Amino acid sequence: MPNKKIHDINTKRMKIEKTLDKNVNFLKSTLNSEDVTFLDLKIGNKNAVIVFINDLVDKNSVGELILRPASQTKGELDKTQIFELFLSPEKTKVTEMKDLINDLLLGNTILITDQIDCAFSFGLKFFEKRAITEPPTSTVIKGPREGFVESLPVNISLMRRRLKSPDLRFENVTVGKYSRTPVTLCYIDGIADKELVNQLKAKLSKIDIDAVLDSSYISKFIGEHKISLFKQIGNTEKPDILAGKILEGRVAIFVDGSPIALTVPYLLIEDFQSASDYYNSSYSATFARQIRLFSIFLALFLPALFVSAELFHLQLIPLSFLLTIVNSIKGIPLSPSYEMFFTLMIFEILNEASVRMPKYVGMVVSIVGGLVLGETAVTAGIISAPTLMIIALSGICLYTVPELEQTFSILRILFLIIAGSFGLYGLIISVALLLTYLITFENYKTPILAPFSPLIKEDLKDTFYKGFLLEQENRPLSLKNVNKRRIKKKIDGDK
Amino acid sequence: MQKELKTRQVCLFLIAFTPIAKLFIMPSVLAGKANEDLWICTLINVVLDFFTIASIIYACKNTDKNLTQLLESSFGKLGAKFIVGIFFIYFILKAILPISEQADYVKLTLYTLKPTVLYFLPFFIVAFYVCTKNLRVLGRSADILWLFTIIGFLILFALSIANIDFGAILPLGANGVKKIIDGSYTTLLWFGDGAYLLFLMGEFKFRKNDGKKIILSFLISSLIVLLFMIIFYGTFTYISHRQRFAFTEISKYTSVINNLGRFDYIGILLILFSNVFALSVPLFFASKSLDYILGFSKKWISPLIVIGIQLFILIFLNEYYASVENFLMSKINWFFLIVGNILPALCVLLTKKESKKQYAIEKI
Repeated sequence: MPNKKIHDINTKRMKIEKTLDKNVNFLKSTLNSEDVTFLDLKIGNKNAVIVFINDLVDKNSVGELILRPASQTKGELDKTQIFELFLSPEKTKVTEMKDLINDLLLGNTILITDQIDCAFSFGLKFFEKRAITEPPTSTVIKGPREGFVESLPVNISLMRRRLKSPDLRFENVTVGKYSRTPVTLCYIDGIADKELVNQLKAKLSKIDIDAVLDSSYISKFIGEHKISLFKQIGNTEKPDILAGKILEGRVAIFVDGSPIALTVPYLLIEDFQSASDYYNSSYSATFARQIRLFSIFLALFLPALFVSAELFHLQLIPLSFLLTIVNSIKGIPLSPSYEMFFTLMIFEILNEASVRMPKYVGMVVSIVGGLVLGETAVTAGIISAPTLMIIALSGICLYTVPELEQTFSILRILFLIIAGSFGLYGLIISVALLLTYLITFENYKTPILAPFSPLIKEDLKDTFYKGFLLEQENRPLSLKNVNKRRIKKKIDGDK
Repeated sequence: MQKELKTRQVCLFLIAFTPIAKLFIMPSVLAGKANEDLWICTLINVVLDFFTIASIIYACKNTDKNLTQLLESSFGKLGAKFIVGIFFIYFILKAILPISEQADYVKLTLYTLKPTVLYFLPFFIVAFYVCTKNLRVLGRSADILWLFTIIGFLILFALSIANIDFGAILPLGANGVKKIIDGSYTTLLWFGDGAYLLFLMGEFKFRKNDGKKIILSFLISSLIVLLFMIIFYGTFTYISHRQRFAFTEISKYTSVINNLGRFDYIGILLILFSNVFALSVPLFFASKSLDYILGFSKKWISPLIVIGIQLFILIFLNEYYASVENFLMSKINWFFLIVGNILPALCVLLTKKESKKQYAIEKI
């Protein structure tokens, strides 16, 4: 149950009173915490109190911008004179207790003065934040290296620096009963679909949760399908990627405390597109995307295909290769499907351990896990060399599209179990089932498999084939956007 | 009003799904009836379907209504339900042999080590899932699967072309008209694709030139079938009638097989994948028809009934497969001809009446 007093303030809309002591006593009883500082001072003849949360404000600024001007005042000052006295660029008048407490909790400094029925809120926030670095999840060889950080204002400034347009809009919502996390919608007015923006705003304002600790919390609420193995909301850690997505008509969501911005609507193909594709030539980008597609095919199906061929369809394997396999599996105590499953599980365990393990032991684990364990298992005759090779290849291939790694590793296990039980036809059936699911899967009226299904010819230029920049005259038709054209092909005067 | 399908999806539907079911046992049945003239039998059925499809396209030009709306405005709700009921029976019967063929194929060709029908049964899960969706699922799957079908056939054709004796299909008409007609008549159940188009009528916005696009797609799909018949007979000549699962056989004599294993299986698997959806199409329309007739409130009831019927036929009538096959191919061909070709073609008359009505209203 949240603080009852705060609940009362929210519901009763309490006004700030003219008596200083009453206001201060109320605040002291409501915010009964040692990090809330109350500092007495005089403004002219009037008594006043500055309230702030200790580690959220820049104390030098409080001294320079509030205390110094206040100490130089004499005589009787009215509301307007006091407000104009302070030179802080971010200052507002607050008349309701609810707003006062909200501002205080956000890190503002509050000035309450005797005989005045309002308070003054100064944006003098200061807290430690991480430096802007290249995000580890999307590194590039060529192209911008900046990544979002946990601070919302910094992230907004990164976007403003890229899109210096008056049409770039930011709209704020506060989410979380205890965390009161600022969440910001970001879109370009005149490109993004207004209906989508309103829909998202409505969804965000309806979220009732204790705390929003990361943007992933928000994605669970705004996804239209409550149970789904597939991602429904896109995300990125890079401002250049986000700017590109916003320019295509998507809406972004920033959450204070999270370096990951969410994007809506999401298409599956997005995760096959890397930032570097847009900074390299079309040829190399197309090649890279084809490689990613092929790798994902191998990652998903290679273990399953191998097991089903070994168990049910030996006719698929060329004779010479069959003899090699027969020699390598001689004496292996496990059946092919168990062997593959067992090896895959070991790989997943190693994978999980390597992510969580401290960096300095991580290297040891990869040597022990990858080389010693694998080599020994083959020599001891527990698993065969082809199986080990297939799992290793499949594991590496999955990381060509890191965003889909979690979904696809679950699918890989499912396909393996199905192939081991039902063979190739079972595998075909399960892929058909998955395809049926995906082609009917929509989020915010956008089919996740677009532009392949429904087929949108124009948008195919930025899928597994990366067209030249000038070919991509229009924004993606797969997304609902208002203004379609983004490139004027001919420069005036061109023939 | 937003239509469920686009014309493009209707075209791709014809290319992706209609040729596949014709390539399992139909070629050997035809070879048994008409030998080297099997392709002429196919051509006759293609021409029949062409006229049916052309009349439906003409009907689409006259009206924007879908089949049930059109029937209701002409025969009332009860009459419409009766006619849709006939189509329900048609789709159920039309699905039986292709599903049995596929089950046999899976059992005997893919699982030579442990042949059992159990491996095929998961197909019904997909079919059920597809049937619970709306028409959009067919359009969107066709958007992807036409490529699988085309690539699959290209691989098979490319691998088999070197071994064909084109002289084997000559002289034309050597078996006489009677045998050719008999061949066409026997294999009617694999054709009658106009009935599908009839159910898609009014579900896509028909614009100028759309008719030409649909006809072209139908011709591409027919060309695949005709080419396949020629390649099939050119490969196996007088033993063609013994090659039950024709499309897996035609390409296995290429030299690529010796070097790379059954390379042709890439093509076969692509076609099999498309076939999962192709086999679901008659079941889909059967369940939609049943839904219309009985008006179930839950969308899973009619698919469950349709799948249940097919499952029952597959499992319990499996022992009487020869009788079922004989019944479908020899006893009720007239039914396939009437419902698959004549009834859809007759809908032009309804739309003519419709357009006259419209004209009169506009005049008033």
